[in-house]
Amino acid sequence: MPTPTLTQSLVIALLQAILVVVFIFVVVPLTLYAERKVLGYLQLRLGATRVAGSLTGLTGFINRNMWKLGKVPMLSYWRGIVMLVGDILKMILKEDILPTKADKFVFFIAPAISFCASVIVFAAISFVPGTLFTLPAWVPIIGGLPVSGAIGDVNVGLLWILGVASVGVYGIVLAGWASNSKYPLLGGLRSGAQIVSYEVPLTLSLLAPVVMSGSLQFGEISRGMAVGLPFWGIVPQFLGFFIYLTCGFAETNRLPFDMPEAENELVAGFHTEYSGMKFGFFYLAEYINMVVVAALASAFFLGGPWLMPFGLHGLLNPFFSAHLPALLVPFLCQPHAIFFVVKIIFLLFVYIWVRGTIPRYRYDQVMAIAWKYLIPLTLVNLLLAAAVRYCCAV
Amino acid sequence: MNKFLKTLIPFDIAKGLAITGTHFAKVFLTANRRKVPLHVVSEYPEVPAKLQPRFRGRLTMLKDDAGEIKCVCCMACVKICPTQVISIEAGKKEGRKTKVPTRYDFEMERCIFCELCVESCGFDSIILNHQFELAVYNREDMSLSMDGQFQNMFGISPVAKFSVADEEK
Repeated sequence: MPTPTLTQSLVIALLQAILVVVFIFVVVPLTLYAERKVLGYLQLRLGATRVAGSLTGLTGFINRNMWKLGKVPMLSYWRGIVMLVGDILKMILKEDILPTKADKFVFFIAPAISFCASVIVFAAISFVPGTLFTLPAWVPIIGGLPVSGAIGDVNVGLLWILGVASVGVYGIVLAGWASNSKYPLLGGLRSGAQIVSYEVPLTLSLLAPVVMSGSLQFGEISRGMAVGLPFWGIVPQFLGFFIYLTCGFAETNRLPFDMPEAENELVAGFHTEYSGMKFGFFYLAEYINMVVVAALASAFFLGGPWLMPFGLHGLLNPFFSAHLPALLVPFLCQPHAIFFVVKIIFLLFVYIWVRGTIPRYRYDQVMAIAWKYLIPLTLVNLLLAAAVRYCCAV
Repeated sequence: MNKFLKTLIPFDIAKGLAITGTHFAKVFLTANRRKVPLHVVSEYPEVPAKLQPRFRGRLTMLKDDAGEIKCVCCMACVKICPTQVISIEAGKKEGRKTKVPTRYDFEMERCIFCELCVESCGFDSIILNHQFELAVYNREDMSLSMDGQFQNMFGISPVAKFSVADEEK
């Protein structure tokens, strides 16, 4: 395998970055659509079944003409699948309003901070151990070189993820301040307090996998939690997983902890004054954060991101490699990004599931949960992790 | 201690998740596939809306088995109507002892669908049917009478398919 020069490795990194952005812009609209449908199903509704035919726009045109012909316009009705495009188009096309008394520069920079902080986290997440794919030889500059599964699986990956993710708070607080209005300010302050409080138990619960695997590198922790233990990663870390998930809900401002966006108290929280694509960036950032939290949970607690759940790989591999057609062997018998994506999707479903079930907590209750219950529990969990590490030393 | 344990182990949250999870599974597996849907919302324009038996729709005149109009022009409905939307002109017909309406006009514009006319009728000769899609483009379509080939007091209104204004051209 040839060693890439500096230029080549930069180009490969760029390629990987583009792949990550593509992944994000595929996953986020799908999550938005799934949120509508799943939330509907949870409440015995049907979710979005159509795109409303407005007077303008293509769907409106088609709908009106089909109604005139006396037919139900099935094209825009097919289980609301047009929503995938509709959401994004709406955000891009809406007018971008700038409040007169807003701090213009900060108002402009806040959504960018929020969005960048959530995207940059992906740099340290490895989708596959080792090589994702090898480029064919005819590609200019980087032909024949392997593209690894992570942009940079650095030694302090977890530190990077936590550090950059918490920069996102700046975006929210600055947005609340720059809007020069009461509701956004209160929303931003609440959000700041909430996220800073929940950062503590979140980090402490992530410390348990670090203790058990003895590394801060994303790939190394995942490997330690997947194959370094004699059982599935969630078994010794049951408590840790649920603490992490709870803190993850709070970190991403989701129900039941969506304090900054408590509609009945604070209009829309920190993004009350935002519209158009600036609001869209906050929206995107929230959903990307969800994906990041789900990725970390599946990597550290669900037995390694690239393997089948319940430790099925070890059980099924002897059977599979003997009987499966050769086409399926690399998918089902080796670590694969598919399992990572499936686990992320499952956790995103759990997000929506919880959102459809639990009502919002009061603000003081949210703080009490973090400081009075979760932090002591994480410390207990950490002791547990140390005990597991001591008993079955890797 | 009990309260502390309840706080620590979220049984109630688990119960709630189980309920919503069952709902999700049911609706997800049966949406668009079953005759009796498990979801509680109706898909109105595509699937005809389900109405309760006592729903009060448009006023309709009934005929008996022989095809005779049941109405005997007792004017009970005209007198009781709070918005005075019914007007009847009585007449005679060969071989029938009771009176028979030669004109029975119904102005749907002002009708409040209170069903007092049906309750006051001693001969069960009028009912409110189950039609609720009654929007029209022309005001004239709101006036119904016994004659009229498409739009009359006997059948359901041909909504959006026929208009008096089109006929006049």
